[in-house]
Parts: sequence; structure tokens; C-alpha cells
Amino acid sequence: MKSKKLLAMLLCLSMVFGLAACGGGTQGTSESPAGGSESPAAGTESPAPESETPSGEAAVDPDSIDDNMTSDDGTYQVAFVTDVGQLKDKSFNQGTYDGVKLYAAANNLSYKYYQPANANEATDDDRFDAMQAAVDGGADVVVCAGYLQEAALKRAAIANPDTKFVFVDGYPLSDDSGNVLTNVAGIAFMEEQAGYLAGYAAVKDGFTELGFSGGGGGTNPACCRFGYGYIQGANAAAAEDGVTVNMNYSWEYGSTFSASPELQTMISGWYANGTEIVFACGGSMFQSISAAASANDGYVIGVDVDQSGESEVVVTSAMKGLADAVQWAVAHVYDGTWDDIGGTATSLGVADNAVALPTTDEAWRFETFSVEKYEELYQQMVDGTLVVDADYTVLDDPETATDWSNVVLNII
Amino acid sequence: MTFLIQQTLIYAVPLMIVALAGVFAERSGIINLALEGIMIFGAFAGVLFVNLTQQAGVFSAAKEANDWIALQGFMLLAMLVAAILGALFSLLLSFASVNLKADQTIGGTALNLLAPALVLFFIRIIANQNTLQMYEGDAASWFMIRKANFGFGRNDDMGFLGETFVNRTYLATYICILLFVVLSILLYKTRFGLRLRSCGENPQAADSLGINVYKMRYAGTTISGALAGMGGFVYALTTANCASTGDVAGFGFLALAVMIFGNWKPGNIAAAALLFGLFKYIAASYSSIDINGDGVFFLAELGISGHLYRMLPYLVTLVVLAFTSKKSRAPKAEGVPYDKGKR
Repeated sequence: MKSKKLLAMLLCLSMVFGLAACGGGTQGTSESPAGGSESPAAGTESPAPESETPSGEAAVDPDSIDDNMTSDDGTYQVAFVTDVGQLKDKSFNQGTYDGVKLYAAANNLSYKYYQPANANEATDDDRFDAMQAAVDGGADVVVCAGYLQEAALKRAAIANPDTKFVFVDGYPLSDDSGNVLTNVAGIAFMEEQAGYLAGYAAVKDGFTELGFSGGGGGTNPACCRFGYGYIQGANAAAAEDGVTVNMNYSWEYGSTFSASPELQTMISGWYANGTEIVFACGGSMFQSISAAASANDGYVIGVDVDQSGESEVVVTSAMKGLADAVQWAVAHVYDGTWDDIGGTATSLGVADNAVALPTTDEAWRFETFSVEKYEELYQQMVDGTLVVDADYTVLDDPETATDWSNVVLNII
Repeated sequence: MTFLIQQTLIYAVPLMIVALAGVFAERSGIINLALEGIMIFGAFAGVLFVNLTQQAGVFSAAKEANDWIALQGFMLLAMLVAAILGALFSLLLSFASVNLKADQTIGGTALNLLAPALVLFFIRIIANQNTLQMYEGDAASWFMIRKANFGFGRNDDMGFLGETFVNRTYLATYICILLFVVLSILLYKTRFGLRLRSCGENPQAADSLGINVYKMRYAGTTISGALAGMGGFVYALTTANCASTGDVAGFGFLALAVMIFGNWKPGNIAAAALLFGLFKYIAASYSSIDINGDGVFFLAELGISGHLYRMLPYLVTLVVLAFTSKKSRAPKAEGVPYDKGKR
């Protein structure tokens, strides 16, 4: 009896200890069922191929297209491998998958998504397995989201030279002997421009206490570019208006792009101490940040896609045209022009209409900053009269990181 | 200060109510290691109820009309559902340990392993991913009490007490505190409580006086399951934006530690829960703690690594248990299956 008590005690101690070992935000570390979506959703809809144009111009709401489709022969031509976080993160993964769904639905192709096993703890092997499963599932083209997939993608691309891979937020890859893999198309965005637009607009609208909470722990190039552009935009606007802006800048609790109680508490703390608006730069982290904003009457800037529909606290979103870019890239597979993008780096920015803030009436929630002013700024970027620096490494050096004329940067 | 008290309460209350859940089971003689599993299950049940009810549009009109009292009712219903499902789930443990006389430690561990897997399985089917969220809106806009509800404007001051204990709080917090007090009284000041406790100390003696030990143990574990299920939902509601992920970040185990630290006594448990709540809060937002409101963030300026602050709740658990476990006195008969034939 005594020994049982001891065992119980030991057990709970070891559990507590185990927790300490994995530190804070362990949201979503639980073992997830492996692999893709095997759920037999009865969505055998075959969309009418009304538009043969590969641009997928049809104004279809991606949410109306089923996430799971069942093809007649059990093969899936357009495959999507998710990044960390959730498929339905209302952000990066979802936006990319929307592109897959839109293109496939418009062109009567079969499509499927594959989630690497072990969720946020996915290893390169897990990712490779997901990609291989996609190829084995009959994929002509595999869309891989997120730069974390690089190592796995390299393996998969070498192993399957006949399959095309679209590397979203990525760059061209080469094999170990230095030959560029021509079946991989790297598509990146000029996130710094979107970040600049958001930061500029926020300060011009009268916000002076800003925050930035980014995903990937400061190692994700896309998030780093967003953040760096955000500071530059805020600084430029503050300099024009002659005001000083305070900004909390943090990568804490974002390494897995997940929502967590710790993140929510931290951001609540920011709002409670005067922060007015926080740029929620990372997938599902939005959930925690918008909850904190909603609880504290604060505001949020969304990321990747227009998130104004998610919550009233979203003032604007630093969008990148994920769905459009994916459709554009996948179209190259099917119209025989893959060689144009295979093995090369594509970087999409304002000039390609690939980064922007949403300007529809319901999404534009600024009070003093007008759409006209925004268009003007946007045009300056397109013309090249306004250049946003993309070299975010200046933030790594504590000397240069906080050297801003009108922004007091508080790196947490 | 206001923020500190509010956040401490948000972390402390689920711990407190789940630790009390542990007390009810153990005082009746059943070791309930399954607290974590029941919390996970309860959180899932509550969130699913919220999600489905929103989907059916039952409370949309109330939300539109800003009828916050109806929304609080909605939240209470969800808490009730979580409690009922938690109680049902804990029946597995009671059945195994009372009827089958199985080892309670193993039974509890089995439930802890079962719950996250089962919950994730359902979440995957329902939501097609690993997180089940509210169908629309967020927890704060639906369920949080704000000063606007009482006719105060955005910039009106409610005074320290109002700002701290009314504005931006969840009714769930106070329900839990009230339940905690009521159930503590039940355990110590009523006939039922005395009988329950006697079954955890000397079930043979209790039986000889005509108390049905099996029934009492069922009662203790079922109350325990209901409280833990509710605690799980309250945790999800107040700290995780009313989302269920098959995970409550180890709060069930922390609650066990709180229970042992609190020496199976409600008063001590409340104090222990507040202590852990405070440290959880410090861990999460050490960089923006400004106790006296002078704009100086003391902890951030100490220059200590943030990792240390994040370790604190767990370090404190270890240290405190190391010092107090010697003096702790568990119910004598806990963990021993009751056998009528054995004297």
C-alpha cells in the first residue's frame, strides 16, 4: 500500500518534471493520428469545368469547395503537404490550400492534402513520408508549404524526378552535387512590402503603441521579412508625422505557430500595459492574439490572408497572394510551361500584385488612413521610388536592431 | 496589479477546482490519477457543445442583441455539459477500481492515455485538424464580463475592485470558487462528507456501521469526475480561447501536485493553487509585469534569462513537494480496493 502511494507520487512527479523539460507552449505536442485525411467525407463533387482558363478566374469561394474529395480511381493529381500548424489555420496553410482547391476545382482535377505525422514536431522523415505518399497517390504536382520542408523536399524531388514540386515560401533546391533540381519551383514573397504597408498604415491611423508577435522563433525568413518591413513602415510613418512609436517585438511562444495559453497571457500583458495593436504574424497564433485583443479592447493586424472575417479586432491584414501564386504555379504544370518556373526562384511582390492590404469596405477598418493614401503608397512601391529593405539580418545585431529614428523597439 | 490578480486567478481557479476533484476521490479511497485525462475529456465536451450550439444558431440572437446574461447562461450550460461528461468518463475509473478491484494507479494512467487519443480522434473527424475551436467569434467576446455590460463606457473607471473583480472576468471563475467553498463544507460539515471521508480512512469500520463503501466510493469518484471535467472546460475557456486540442498542458498533473502540497485539505489547496497560478502568470508574462504602475518592468530588467521564468512553476512544484511531502498525510485506505471479506 505504501509502495503504491509512492508509485503514484513518483508518477505525478515525473509527469510534472517531464513538463518542465519541454518548457512553455507545448500546445499541440500530443500525438496526432498520422498521415493525410482518410476520413470518408461524402464530397464526391465534380465541379463543372466551365472555365478552361488555367488562371482560375472563376470567383468561387474556396470555403465552398470540400477539403476532402474522393476521386473515382483513388489517385489525386494535385497534392498539398501542409506546414506546421493546422490546415484550417485561417492563414498560411489554408490560403495555400485554397489555391490548390480553386485550381483543381476549376480544371476538374482531383486534389488532396497530406499532413505530415507528428504535427508540430514533424521530422524531415515525416515530411518526406507525406510527400512520398502524395507521389504514390498519383500526384502530378505536389505543393509544399513552408520553408521548413526544404530537407524533405530535396529528398522527395530527387527520388521522384518526374513529379513537379511547388515550394511555397521557398527557393530553388539543388542536389548534393550542385545540380539544380528542375522539378522544384521556389516561390517566395516580398513579405517586407506587406509588413511595411501594415506598419505604415497603423501608425498613420494614429496607433503609437505597436506590437509584433512572430512565428518560427525568429528563424522563418518569411516572418522575419514581415517583421522587418513592419518596423520600417512604422518608422517611416512616424517620421513623417513627427511622432515616436513604441513597439514590442517578440518571437516568444511562436516557434510552432500554435495558439497557447502562454502566448495569450503574454499578449494580454502587452495590451494591459498600453499596447494598442499587435501584428499577429504566424498561423494559428492568431487565435491567442485575437483572444487577448478581444479581452482587452485591443486591435490586431492579420497575416497572409484577409483575416477581417475572423474577428472584429482585426484592423487590416498583411496579405500575400498565396492562393493566386499557387494557381499560377500549378497552371504551369498543366499548360506545359513548367520549364519557365522549374528550378528558378520566383519572388512575388507589389509589382505582381502578390502582396497587399485588403481594401474592401468590410476589411478596411482604419479610421483616418484612407484607401487613396494607401494606393498612393502602393504605387510608389510599384514604381520603385519606395524601396523596402529585405535584409532582416540587421535585427540580429543588438546595435543596429534598435537604431530607428522614430521607433523605440523593445525586443522581447 | 489588476492584471496580475486577474491572470493569477485565471490560472489558479482550474487548478483549485481540479485539485478539489482529486480530494473527493482520494478521501473516498480511490486514487484519481486520471484528472488530466478527465480534464481533457471535459474540455472537449464543453467546446464541442459550444461549437454545435453556435452552429445551430441557438444563441445567435442573444449575441446580436448583446444579451450578456443569456450568454452567461450558455456558458453555464457548457460547464454543466463538461461536468456531466467528465463524470461519465470517470465512471470507467470507478468501475475498474470498485467493481473489478483493479489497481487504481494503473486504471488512472490508462484513462490518461485514452483521453487525448480519443479526443484527438474525434476532433480529427469533426474539424479535420487537431484543434476544435468555437464555431464563430472568440471566448472573450462571447463569454467575458465587461464593464460595458453594466453601462460603463470604455474610458470610465470602475474603481480598483470593479476593474479587478468585475471587468474582464469570466463568471466561470466565480462559479468555481463558489463551488469550491460549498463542496469543502459538504466534505467537512455534513453527514455525507463524514461518511465519504471514513471510507478513505477505514472502510471496514465504516462498513460495520452500515455505510455502503462501494456507493460512497462511486459518489466520491463521480463528484471528482464532474469537477475535473468542468475544470478542464474552464481551463480551455479562460486560457485557450475555448479551443480543445487533446491537451491541457499538464494541468491535471499540476493539480495532483497541488493536492498533495495542500495535504488533501481544501484551505491549503486554495493557497497552493494561488501560488502556482501566480508563478504560471509570471512565467508567461514576466516581460510586462508592472506591479505598481510606474512603467518599470522590474522582472524584465533584472536581466535574467526568460527561460528561467518559464521554468519557475515547475521548479517551484518540485521544491515545494520535496519539502512538504514528508509532512503530508494521505487518506489511509486510498488505493486499496475494498474487499468485504478482508478484515
